[in-house]
Amino acid sequence: MNDRRLLGSIAVFVALLLLPLAVHDTFFLRVATEAIMWVGLAVAFDVLAGYTGYLNFGHSAFFGVGAYTTAILMMRAGWPFPAAAGAGGLVAAAAAVVAGLPTLRLRGAYFAIATWALSRAVQQLALMSSLTGGPDGMRLTAYLQPRFFYWVMLGVVGATFFLLWFLLERAPFGLKLKAIREDEQGAKALGLNPTRLKVQAFVLSAVPTAVLGGVFAYWVTFIDPDSTLGDLVSDQALVMVVFGGMGTLLGPVVGAVLIFAFKTVFWAYLAEYEVLYVIILGAVIALSVVFLPNGVLGTLRRRGAVRRPGSGAPALTTPPAAEAGAAAGKGAA
Amino acid sequence: MELLPQALADGVMLGAIYIIIAIAFSLVYGVMHVIDFAVGEWIMLGAFAGFHLNQRTHVDPFLLLPVVFVGFAALGYVLQPLIQRVLSGHKGNPLLMGLVFTFGLSLMFRGLAQTFFGFYSHSTPSRFSTGSFFFEKGGFFLTVSSVRLAGLVYAVVITGVLQWLLKHTDFGLGVRALAQHKDSAGLMGVNDRRTNAFVYAIYVGISAMTGVLIGTILSVSAKMGPEYTIFAFFVVVLAGMGYLAGVPAAAFLLGIIQSVFLVYLDPGYTLLAVFAVLYLILLVSPTGLFRKGV
Amino acid sequence: MTEPILKVQNVSKAFGGLMAVSDVSFEVQPGEIVGLIGPNGAGKTTLFNVVSGYYAPTRGKVVFRGEDVSGMPPYALAPRGIGRTFQVVKPFAGLSVLENIVIASFLKHPRRADAEAHAWRVLELIGLADRADVPAASLTLAGRKRLEIGKALALEPVFLLLDEVVAGLNPTEVDRTIELILQLRARGMTILIVEHIMRVIMRISDRLVVLNFGEKIADGAPAEVAREPAVIQAYLGESAA
Repeated sequence: MNDRRLLGSIAVFVALLLLPLAVHDTFFLRVATEAIMWVGLAVAFDVLAGYTGYLNFGHSAFFGVGAYTTAILMMRAGWPFPAAAGAGGLVAAAAAVVAGLPTLRLRGAYFAIATWALSRAVQQLALMSSLTGGPDGMRLTAYLQPRFFYWVMLGVVGATFFLLWFLLERAPFGLKLKAIREDEQGAKALGLNPTRLKVQAFVLSAVPTAVLGGVFAYWVTFIDPDSTLGDLVSDQALVMVVFGGMGTLLGPVVGAVLIFAFKTVFWAYLAEYEVLYVIILGAVIALSVVFLPNGVLGTLRRRGAVRRPGSGAPALTTPPAAEAGAAAGKGAA
Repeated sequence: MELLPQALADGVMLGAIYIIIAIAFSLVYGVMHVIDFAVGEWIMLGAFAGFHLNQRTHVDPFLLLPVVFVGFAALGYVLQPLIQRVLSGHKGNPLLMGLVFTFGLSLMFRGLAQTFFGFYSHSTPSRFSTGSFFFEKGGFFLTVSSVRLAGLVYAVVITGVLQWLLKHTDFGLGVRALAQHKDSAGLMGVNDRRTNAFVYAIYVGISAMTGVLIGTILSVSAKMGPEYTIFAFFVVVLAGMGYLAGVPAAAFLLGIIQSVFLVYLDPGYTLLAVFAVLYLILLVSPTGLFRKGV
Repeated sequence: MTEPILKVQNVSKAFGGLMAVSDVSFEVQPGEIVGLIGPNGAGKTTLFNVVSGYYAPTRGKVVFRGEDVSGMPPYALAPRGIGRTFQVVKPFAGLSVLENIVIASFLKHPRRADAEAHAWRVLELIGLADRADVPAASLTLAGRKRLEIGKALALEPVFLLLDEVVAGLNPTEVDRTIELILQLRARGMTILIVEHIMRVIMRISDRLVVLNFGEKIADGAPAEVAREPAVIQAYLGESAA
């Protein structure tokens, strides 16, 4: 992603920041808050999925861990919200390391099912444990300030987005992850340690998800294993990323916005057909894989709507540098 | 303690069924290099097919097995080229995209099942459901239900057939060749597209048949799929990926774990236990129980 | 007498019951080009995998620049100066040619800007600078083989393992690659090369090590090795092409 797009993203972010000052409709703010949350969840999911090539079907486990850690610390230990949410992030980071070390050794496809099994096991645990309130869930003290949550959500997602932009598109980390994705065995010969990189990516994916889970918990004031640890969070993140375009930062954003828009419209008019929603999600995933291999964003790029050289070569360097490089490189090898 | 032989026996019989699922699942992976996330849903659909056919025709589910097999195998045969298209269309990571595709399919199947079959669970009755054999020896009691025994027989028969198919037919030779070296096999006249389609068809048929059995021995519900996908995966990884000889031991282990939890502990913890066992074993030996995996 | 850059000492590698490499020992002096030859299945690629860290030796030691590196993973050997190519060429297909080299450049150039400048220099050297932004998947076989070498070179190794880098190329391309290899040697690179095309290996190697059924059967100057009865027999009487 080059500097022009970065500037565009910053502009959009600033506009979103100022939005509540212009728009006072609380319903609209709530919808926007949720939309922003999904953007964050999708982008975090893509770190491991698109960049590294490992599908974490247990994405919802991190969301739930963050939600429950925040709820438990706030309600049972009296912690203030920021500390509780932050703690949720740390717990998720630790969980990612512990869960990731053995499972990331499996090849990508097997890792997917392993994480899926893990998230179901975590959901079981939450259902049975009294600490988490079991199937009845937990209530948090209500703090009804829509603008507050809007800004917190935007802040977390914004921080995540720009941090990931730096790490994945500017710093070497992103390219290294892509190398693992393309050819893990070959990457080793180039000095890359796949397990370490994968675990780092896993943690990077887990922490924002968990923090968003914590914010979500405080925002909606009631959480239960179904809403925070169920498959739906992982499934939707997956759809958003596959539909939007994997391996980029803007792809998940586009996917999140579109799928979320669809979801909102669907639930507004077709709430009785909730089973249909799952069918449609499944169909969108399957069809995207067949017909939109690079997601909506990738397909638009290929059609020339958005010009992009090769597969996204860094815009930092252009051929004229090669002449200077060749002159300087006579003695190098 | 008196219940232990019972739990073990039940577990072994359950495990026998898991062997079938795991072998079919591994076969598809070995030949087509795709992990079918929807394996549990095929089982579920088969179970429902068995249940509803039995309801309508009052034919014993065991007799319905061939019918279900043929029907689902045909479905699999038709579906396979689509999957093939997905796998060959991705320069980057066909295996991963294949998984995503089958995941999408599994969501659709589950949703459709819930729409058409509702949310309740059922059990498919069979003439074997009520019979049982009773053993007693030195204070230990063992009740072997006929239906589970029939399940064991089924597993042995199917394993035998698969074994014969793979080792003693030209088709089986082609399958093994493809699994080992795709390109060379093609050069030697193995029609990989057709063989792939047949392998997938057989896999879907077997999974569905096994579903009928599970519906009779345990139960049928629209939400049962994911559990079996996880079980299939558990057995295959525990056995060591690609190491078919390890499957029986892993399958029996799974069956016993499930059985023990049913008898002694809360079945709700079964999944946790399964995952814990998997996690610990992976930690110690990433290539499976016998260290022979890939 | 200079210290050999690589010492393979009694290395054996077994897979289950199969002994792919059996008690092989040889040395490579700095600045040499050593050719590793032998009939198909002789264990050459297995030996390569042991030396480059993909396999740990079942027995024996690999000593690189005086350090015992037996069993170290490939990503520990790369910083120590070992680079390798793979027989089955696999570029990072979804990335551009430039990105492929940049990733390799990160080893010695951790900062992105440096890595990219270095990558451009490597591209010039291997002649792919004009296709820098092209997806690696769309290169021809010759291009991919050159990219493969480029990735190894970007690591700035002192010791290069080349695994069949000219297989499948037409004569012009083969000559170009030979020229590149000789150029590298002129700059001080030590090379261990596996190759089946006899004229290539006879022409560029200072020494030949011959394997058959996992064992070393000859070690010496190409002309002498080619005359040894054991070697001729191993190839069933094939003469140097």
